[in-house]
Amino acid sequence: MFIFIIICVCRRGAVRLGMSKLTQVDFVPREMVSYSKETQTPTEAMTQADQKDTPKELTEEEKLQVLHSEEFLSFFERGSRIVERVLAEQVDVCFDYSGRDLEDKEGDLQAGAKLVVNRQFADERWTKNRVVTCLDWSPQYPELLVASYNNNEDAPHEPDGVALVWNMKYKKGTPEYIFHCQSEVMSAGFAKFHPNLVVGGTYSGQIVLWDNRSNKRTPVQRTPLSAAAHTHPVYCVNVVGTQNANNLISISTDGKMCSWSLDMLSQPQDSLELVFKQSKAVAVTSMAFPLADVNNFVVGSEDGSVYTACRHGSKAGITEVFEGHHGPVTGLSCHSAGGPVDFSHLFISSSFDWTVKLWSTKSTRPLYSFEDCCDYVYDAMWSPTHPALFACVDLSGRLDLWNLNNDTEVPTASVSVEGSPALNRVRWSHSGKEIATGDSEGQVRVYDVGEQICVPKADEWTRFVRTLAEINENRDEAEELANA
Amino acid sequence: MAEVEETLRRIQSQKGVQGIVIVNSEGIPIKTTLDNSSTVQYAGLIHQLVMKARSTVRDIDPQNDLTFLRIRSKKNEIMIAPDKDYFLIVIQNPSD
Repeated sequence: MFIFIIICVCRRGAVRLGMSKLTQVDFVPREMVSYSKETQTPTEAMTQADQKDTPKELTEEEKLQVLHSEEFLSFFERGSRIVERVLAEQVDVCFDYSGRDLEDKEGDLQAGAKLVVNRQFADERWTKNRVVTCLDWSPQYPELLVASYNNNEDAPHEPDGVALVWNMKYKKGTPEYIFHCQSEVMSAGFAKFHPNLVVGGTYSGQIVLWDNRSNKRTPVQRTPLSAAAHTHPVYCVNVVGTQNANNLISISTDGKMCSWSLDMLSQPQDSLELVFKQSKAVAVTSMAFPLADVNNFVVGSEDGSVYTACRHGSKAGITEVFEGHHGPVTGLSCHSAGGPVDFSHLFISSSFDWTVKLWSTKSTRPLYSFEDCCDYVYDAMWSPTHPALFACVDLSGRLDLWNLNNDTEVPTASVSVEGSPALNRVRWSHSGKEIATGDSEGQVRVYDVGEQICVPKADEWTRFVRTLAEINENRDEAEELANA
Repeated sequence: MAEVEETLRRIQSQKGVQGIVIVNSEGIPIKTTLDNSSTVQYAGLIHQLVMKARSTVRDIDPQNDLTFLRIRSKKNEIMIAPDKDYFLIVIQNPSD
């Protein structure tokens, strides 16, 4: 440390100041001792900061102690009473009648409101560990839905085939009617002109008929297990015709088609072998009749092709083949929304090749392929009321609604089932406002479809004509490009 | 104790209720029907909010006190019934 010594000499006259000689001194710097002014005992402020960083947890015992304490109980009694009153009030004070609110919600919330689960049906004894194989809505009572199930591997003593009739109208969660039979039921439906009968097609090839007037849960009529009838699983059953002249049509996976009268199931009225080009039997997995047609129909098969066929006439049997799918066809649906324009030549098919294809009976090449799904598509169905709307379900638990007038590239609405069970079947209700889906865990879910999607406006038919024209143009252009 | 459980179950089964959390005066959750991370989040955030709301009410009028707090958001509604030592938080989606 340098110490400057300035000698101030008081002399009269000029003062000459100069630097003095520096003397180095080796003192250690003086330490400035300071005492902390903070208290050493923890205060409120310090513990608060601690708690913000690491939230303290109470042990289970402490929690139990709290829960039993007098003050907690009196707080809880009061608090829960008020909360319950508030919860019971359903008033939404923020509702905006001008609809400006809804415009903002075009994104997520709209998607949520588009498809909402209304009911979920399952039964501990009858549906656990079984897969839903078929669904059908009753034509006479719009609240009744029949679901068929296959066998429960964990319960070998229970009947293999079960069909349950569920009721949407009442809040009870148990089935209206429980029917069962000895073989797994692969397809089921309400008999269109006989309100009391439920038809089932089974794995053994037998067609069974249940009647809700009888008190039995077992079938009242069964078809024989003989070569005259079916010996392979029956995946398609359908009642076609009119009140006075109707037939039950069934097709099994060996390509045999039988038509029966519901009064007498001991032998088929008519049978037909569906063979393609005189040799190849068609392994039919799905069947559909166009609206108001009892003679011509379409079938989908395991080899990925769709065939049109007719029942009567000189050319009874397979008429044409529609090739396009790369995997087995799982579902078929013919356009059924009646309106100013007739689209009954259109049908859609779903397949294991992840696509749903749109076809017209007038052309053997697909009109359009919907490729949004990333998994096996198990079923697809046109809406019975809206001409451009259809639903499809896939293996990953997704239900998609496509509105072709809005967009042909992506679904208009989509919902995923939590837990991702495979969805096997989809069926629109006859009103077109509800969709039922069946999954691989035996659960049947009924969704309410938002009004803005399922109710067709007056111009939907004309718009669909234009959409179809565009689709046709695009297809022709794509082909020209491919051929060129 | 069983009554507490029963009441909680009854509230939980009401239309649209997404979850219930009971928090003590220090912001520590005592009972909850939500998963752990959500519970801790709700407990911490709402505790601070209730403290602020209570002090606001009392600052304006020292003889007043907070009796109920409702937070209405676009997606749901959070209802808080506060007390001297605890509060009951219920999250409801009223459009369900």
